[in-house]
Formats: sequence, C-alpha cells, structure tokens
Amino acid sequence: MKKSSIVGIIVIAIAIAVIISTYSNTSTYGSFNDAKTSKSELHVVGHLNKGKELFYDATKDANYFSFYMKDNKGEECKVVFTGTKPQDFERSEQIVLTGQMKGGEFHASKILMKCPSKYTDDKLNVTEVSAKKSASI
Amino acid sequence: MDIVFKGEHLLPGQLGQFFIVLAFGAALFSLICYYFAAQEGVAKSDNSWLRLGRIGYWLNTVAILGMGTCLFYLLYHHYFEYHYAWTYTSRDLPVYYIVSGFWNGQEGGFLLWYFWTAVLGNVLIWKAKSWESPVMVTMALTQVALGSMVLGINIGSAHIGSSPFLLLRNAMEAPIFKSPNYLDFIKDGKGMNPSLQNYWMIIHPPTLFLGMASLVVPFAYATAGLWKRRYKEWVAPAIPYALFGCMILGTGVIMGAFWAYESLNFGGFWAWDPVENASIFPWLVLVAAVHVLIVFKNTGHSYFTATLLTLLSFVLVWYSSFLSRSGILGESSVHAFTDIGLFWQLVIGIVIFFAITVYLLISRWKELPITKKDEDTYSREFWMFVGAVFLGLSCLQLILVTSVPVWNAMFGTKLAPPTDPVKQYNIIQASFAVVIALLSGFTQFLKYKQTDIRRFFITTLVYLVFAALITALVVYATGVYKLNLVFNLVMLCAIYSVVANGKVLADAIKGKFKLAGSAVGHIGFGLLLVGALISAGTKRVISENLTGEQYSAEFAKDENPKENILLYKNEPLKMGEYMVTFRSDTIEGAQHLFNIDYQRIQNGKVTEGFTLRPNVIQAQGGMSSSPDTKHYLFHDMYTHITMTNVISTEPQGEEASHGEEGDDKKYDAPVTHEIAVGDTMTYRDGIIVLKGLNKNVKLQNIPLTDKDIAVGAQLEVISHGKTYQSEPVYMIKGRSVFDFGKKVDDAGLKLRFTKIIPGKTLADGKVEITVYQQPESKKKFIVMKAIEFPYINFLWAGTIIMVLGFFMSILRRNKELKPEPVKVAVVVQPAIKIKKK
Repeated sequence: MKKSSIVGIIVIAIAIAVIISTYSNTSTYGSFNDAKTSKSELHVVGHLNKGKELFYDATKDANYFSFYMKDNKGEECKVVFTGTKPQDFERSEQIVLTGQMKGGEFHASKILMKCPSKYTDDKLNVTEVSAKKSASI
Repeated sequence: MDIVFKGEHLLPGQLGQFFIVLAFGAALFSLICYYFAAQEGVAKSDNSWLRLGRIGYWLNTVAILGMGTCLFYLLYHHYFEYHYAWTYTSRDLPVYYIVSGFWNGQEGGFLLWYFWTAVLGNVLIWKAKSWESPVMVTMALTQVALGSMVLGINIGSAHIGSSPFLLLRNAMEAPIFKSPNYLDFIKDGKGMNPSLQNYWMIIHPPTLFLGMASLVVPFAYATAGLWKRRYKEWVAPAIPYALFGCMILGTGVIMGAFWAYESLNFGGFWAWDPVENASIFPWLVLVAAVHVLIVFKNTGHSYFTATLLTLLSFVLVWYSSFLSRSGILGESSVHAFTDIGLFWQLVIGIVIFFAITVYLLISRWKELPITKKDEDTYSREFWMFVGAVFLGLSCLQLILVTSVPVWNAMFGTKLAPPTDPVKQYNIIQASFAVVIALLSGFTQFLKYKQTDIRRFFITTLVYLVFAALITALVVYATGVYKLNLVFNLVMLCAIYSVVANGKVLADAIKGKFKLAGSAVGHIGFGLLLVGALISAGTKRVISENLTGEQYSAEFAKDENPKENILLYKNEPLKMGEYMVTFRSDTIEGAQHLFNIDYQRIQNGKVTEGFTLRPNVIQAQGGMSSSPDTKHYLFHDMYTHITMTNVISTEPQGEEASHGEEGDDKKYDAPVTHEIAVGDTMTYRDGIIVLKGLNKNVKLQNIPLTDKDIAVGAQLEVISHGKTYQSEPVYMIKGRSVFDFGKKVDDAGLKLRFTKIIPGKTLADGKVEITVYQQPESKKKFIVMKAIEFPYINFLWAGTIIMVLGFFMSILRRNKELKPEPVKVAVVVQPAIKIKKK
C-alpha cells in the first residue's frame, strides 16, 4: 500500500473522530423545565426578570449572586451564581446561562449576557435625550 | 416635509461618501482593466490595459486615504450629527483614543482592512513584474468586495454596505430629529466602551487587520498561477508574502491575547472564545501552507496540498470575519459584533473566494504537477507534510466546534456549544500540539529526499532523552505533572522541539546561517507552548475565600472554591502568603484606581511589599474593570476588582441633600459610652481612648464669650493597626447646648461629645461620647480576585522569538528569489528599465 494512502486513512480517521467528539460534546439549549429533568449541564436562554430582586451583598458573601430569570418559554426560576454580580447585569437584554438544576434553584457556572449598547446600539435612548432637552431649556 | 437642520457639518460626510463611491468605482474599473490586461491575447507591447488597471488601483488607494481623513476629521471635531462619531466617541476622550475610536465600529474595521489591501496592492504593482496583471485581478476583486461593505447605498429595497458617514438622524428614528435644531440637544456622544479605552486598542487592530489583509497575497499568487497555468512558478514569490502573513497575523493575535491578559478581566490570555478561535483559523492554515509550499519548492512534492491550503487560508479570513461580524455568534461569544445588516454580504464574500478556489482546482485538476512517486519515509518533506496536515486537522476541530451556531442556522438544529469548552479545547488541541511539536523537532534531523537512517535515529534519540530529562525537571518544579497526561506530553514535545532546534541553530550559526530562521521560529513556538501550558495549567487563584455566610448547606458544599475576597478599606486581610490592604482610591481621568497594598509575609517577617493599582473605568453608563499585574521574572501576580461600592452608578448628590438627620441614617444605631479621661471604649473595628479634655477649643466662625463653655474630647481611635485623632466638641452658648460631631471617614466612624456628667470632684467627672459606626455594607469595600500566573513570560518571549524567526525566514526566502528573466517581464517603462540594468 502506498504511504500516501496510509496517511490519508489516518487523517480521515482523525477527522471522523473529531467530528464525533464535537457532536458528542455539544450540549443543548433548553428551558428550565428541561433542566429539571436533565442530570447534565445545559444552556438556558432567557432574560432577567427586572421586577424581582437581584441579590448580591458582598458584605455577607462576596461569591453569592442570585436573581430570577425567565426562559424563552416564559418559565421563571431562581438562579444562583457563585461569584460577583457581573457589571451592568441589570442592563442585559438577553442572558445565556450554563449550569444545572439543584433543588429548586438553577446553579449557573457561566453567565453570558448581551447588552446591546455594549457594541452597537441602533436604538437611540429617547428618554435620555429628552431629559437633556428639558434641562437645556 | 423638508426640514432645514441647523448646525450640521455636512461637507466632510459628503466628501467621505464621495470617496467611498469613488474607491468602489475605481476598484471595479481596476478589476476590469487588469482582467483584460491578463488575457493571453494582449500583445506584449500593448500595456494600455495594464496602465489603466494601475490608475484604477491608485485612484482606489487615494480615495481610501481620503475616506480615512474625512472620518478622522469628523471624529476629531466631535461632529455628533454623524452616527459613527456619536456612537463611539465623546468629548472627553483623549486624542489617542479618538484614533482607536476610528476602528471601534465595524465600518472602521473594514476601512482598515481596505486600507491595508490597498497598500499591499501597491507593493505588488511595484514588485510583481510579470505576475502583476493576474495577481492584481484578485487584489482588485478584494477591494471591490471590501468596498461594497462600506458603500451604504440603497438599491431598491436592498441595502448595500454600511457607511461610516451615516448621519445620526438617518441612522435612527426619534422624535427629536423632527426639530431643526436637534443638534442643540446632543451635547455629547455615547463615548467609547470602557474596556476599549486602552493603549492596546490603538495598535492591536491595525496589526491584526494587516495580518488578515496580507493573506490575500499568497491567495492571489495561487489563483494567478492556476489561472495562467504557471503552476510551479507562483510558489517561490508567494512564500515571502505567506511568511509575512504568518508573522503579522500571529503578532496581531498574540497582541490581542496580551491585551486580554493585561487589561481585560477575562482572567487569562486565551479563553477559547469563538471570536478568538476565528482569528487563528487562517493563521493555522497559513502556517501549514507555508510548510508545504517550502516542501514543494524543494522537492516538487505536495503540490495539491500546498495550493489548497494557501487558497483556503484566505477563504478562512472571510469566514472568520463572517463569524465575528454577522451576529451569528450572539449566543456563544462575549465579544462578537451584532449584525449591522451585512450578514448576506459577508456570506457572498465567502462564497466568491471559495468558488474561485473550487473552480480553479477542479478545472485545472488534470494539469496540476502532482507527483506520482511517494516521498521517502525518512525524508524531511514527508514529515513536514504530515505536520502540515495535523495543523490543518487542529484547525478543523476549532472550526467544527466554533461553528456550532452556523450548523444550527444551516440545518435547523439546536445544538449548544460544549458546557465546558475550555477543557474540551485544551485536551483536543493539546493532542494535536503533541504531534506538531514532536514533528517540528525531529524533522529537523531529516534531510530532503533521503537521510542516513542510522544517524537520524541516534541523534533523535539522544535529543529525546535530553529533552525528557529537562521535562522531568520542569514538570516536577512547576507542578505540571499533576495535570492530564496529554499536557505532560505536550511539555515533553515542546521542550524537545526547543532543544532540537537549538542544535540546528547552533549549527546554523557555525555554518549556513540562512537556515537559522526556521530554527528560531520553531524554538519560539516551543517556548510559547511551554509558557502557555505552565501558566494556564498551574495558574492559581490566590484570593480563595473561606468565609461568607452559608446560604444553604448544599450550596456551600458543591460550589467551593470561592474566588473573590472582600476587602474593607484599611482592614488588612490575609490572602495566601500575602497580607493585602485596600488603602485608598484615586481618580485619574476616566480611570478610578484602587491602591491595594501587598505584603508578603514569611516567618512573621515582611519580606516584600508592593502596591497594585487595578482600575475601574466608567463610561457609557457602565463599568469596566482592568487588572493590574505585578510582574516577576518567573511569575505574575494579577489582581482585578470584580465589585466595589466606592463607585456607584446611581446619581450622586442625593446623599448631600439629606442634612444632619439623613447623615445619621448612614450609620448604625448609635452607642453611648460614659467614660472618664484615660478610659477605653471598644467598638466593632477597634478601640477608642479618651486622652484628655481640651478646654481651650477654638471654633471657626463662632466667637465665644466668657460665659460660654466649649470643651473638646481628645479621642484616639485605634483600628486595624492604624491610629486616628479626633476631637468632637461640646458647647454651651447662652442657654443652648450644642455639640459638634467629628467624622473619621477612614475608620467609618462619627463621634459626638454629647454630655458632661459632673462628678464629686473634678477628676471624677465623666463625659458621654456617642459613637456612630458605619454598617458593614456602608463601609467602603472592594471585592477582588487575585491570580498567580507562573512562567507566563515564556509565552511572551516565545512569541517574540517566533516572530523573529518568521522575519529571518522572510529575508532568506526573499533573497532566494531569482530576478526574473527579462523576456517574461512586462516592460512598462522601457527607458527606465534599461538604465537600471
């Protein structure tokens, strides 16, 4: 057998292994409901319930942050994160959590939040501008 | 309804927009002319098409410069009627950040890419000789594609490109744009994202974009070679450009890593974020391509692989731009852009260059100079080829995982990225690194075509044993041995690569110095791996927090190690082998710096002390925290603020208006003490001693008569090893009793002298002191995280050495280019040419 065919076979084998490992290592997006039934970590997409309390008191525990999030199906759940409250958390429009359910709480190991204003924001904050207007007149 | 708006500066924008259209038109013109110039039918003596092509390209370059000048002009003059200026800059931004505001938005990024391609095109017009026409076709095509990204023109309902000269009132809908003097209300821009206010943002993007842009040159040579059927000739001139691309793109990527490490709070230099991954796809493939190009040049083997990888590397530049700019990574990346309406244009960009690749390879397939003979097993070319293939595989894995959102969009699946991507990437990429590093070591002992097998095995083994010894030492000393086996293997192979290439370098210095470039490059790569491995593998969070109230037993059990500690102002805390104290905070410009004292304590003695000043920048209504790092030769101490109550995002001034009563609310319920001179009172954070009573107090603005009494209580507060003096005053004036409390802000105290209790004798007399202490939560505090990165300097040093290696190789490969024979050269200006000869 030619050497190039051997190399070819090895390369194909590794490529297949990589594809399989990619597929098997991907996790799933789910809702809090899915998280309750699942044992493994998963991603939940949703948004912060700004009406409920965000709890973070560094003087009591600098590594405990909890809040309530509504997932995309509208279900709400308390989320606990071991760490400090991310900066600008209140302003987030969308949150992607990675973690799993423990008891009635969702324990997030990672929080990814999107603040649209952080990079490009095509919505002018009208209230802000009109506030300036009244001030200047 | 036409409104005449007041105060707008429309000229620079109109001029800029004119340049945009001009640049696009010129690029298109240049493309057409060069295309005709490259046709076989054109007579050698007829260079009119070529000349027109050049004029088009030059015009394009000039227009791009004009565009840049206009954009800078309106940023510099704070013309907030322009969306770009309003979104990314503000009046208080220093000039050097206005420069970085230039490429803050996506349009500016395209402009940079556009600019560098223009520069490279001019270099090619000057240098490419007989290759000029076919190569410049690709360059001009790239300029057309890039130009369309910033066009900002509506054709029918289709929106092509996004112009940086868009007016604010056209960019968004708001009622205030109905009033002609709307500019009076827009006093300031939104300002720059605080995390971008950093000097790295001034040099990292231009470097990275030069790297990205430079990948077009090898692509252009490869397409020209296939198109014009000059299959073998294109390789030699393309190699220096490919090396240049590797060097600059590599530098740009590592600059990004260094920026992330030095000034972002990611807690490291590489987080396997999709955007970071996307930036190294083209690099990995181009490095692989360079190796096989050299193989082909020396032996005639691996032609197809070399061509394919060269072509793909530029397609991947487009793919990685698509990933970071189209908004598709929205749910998986922290720093991808959101879509600005260029999604499909970016897709078309990928498709165009991919289609060229596929078309040329298929249509020329039968004519490609592919060798029928196999490489010898003990030849350098064979193992270089294998190495290149593994680089490609490592890139494939990154692409597959990073593109999960793309697969979802394409196939309607709902896969999520891995829950612990870092671990997964680390292990898989480390496995590839083992093979690549090993190959970059022993391949150096092989010769092209045929090698003396016996000698090869002996040298390889000797150096492997030597490397194993060093590895054992390093692994033991740094604690890497505790990690996964694969990381230890990477260590072995990386060190092996360093020593093997060290030998080659030593030989090169003695003899053929031209071989030194590759040796230096590989040594750098090996060191880079060593540094990355040790620092990422054995980094240690020093700010372990063992306190904190237990919210639930289960929570505390599962969620250990806690990585943030709370520091109250002036209250030292033991953190690992350091005693840390948050001393003070100062404001310098937009930065709010926190001074944190570190004292290393060994055997009860302070052996070392230093101050770190991590800072928090407030802008755009948000906060961004930048770390400060104490650099040692062999490790770094990294500290950043994760939270503080010193800066509040709520409007200030509220506190001041509450007056005395409101002021008391900021403290806990007061405690009164009746004490005599010399007595001591305790409070939560220390003790207060009444040193004496001062009967000769002078009060500002209050004249005292003989009948009035004013007494000061001389108090000494001792808290956490610090002593403060305070003297609250008690006064009887006329029939009224007053007391003047004093605040000791650093100790979080307010002290009032509220009563004098006469005793039987004078010495027996007591006084009443009311102590107000701030509640814990009102005291100034910071929450911080400290990480130790060992041996990270190897990573940076390795990078610099690797870049140097690339540079040396460019010089060598450039020298190897034989001057082209006169007969193929297109004689442009015969008179000058002849004079030179």
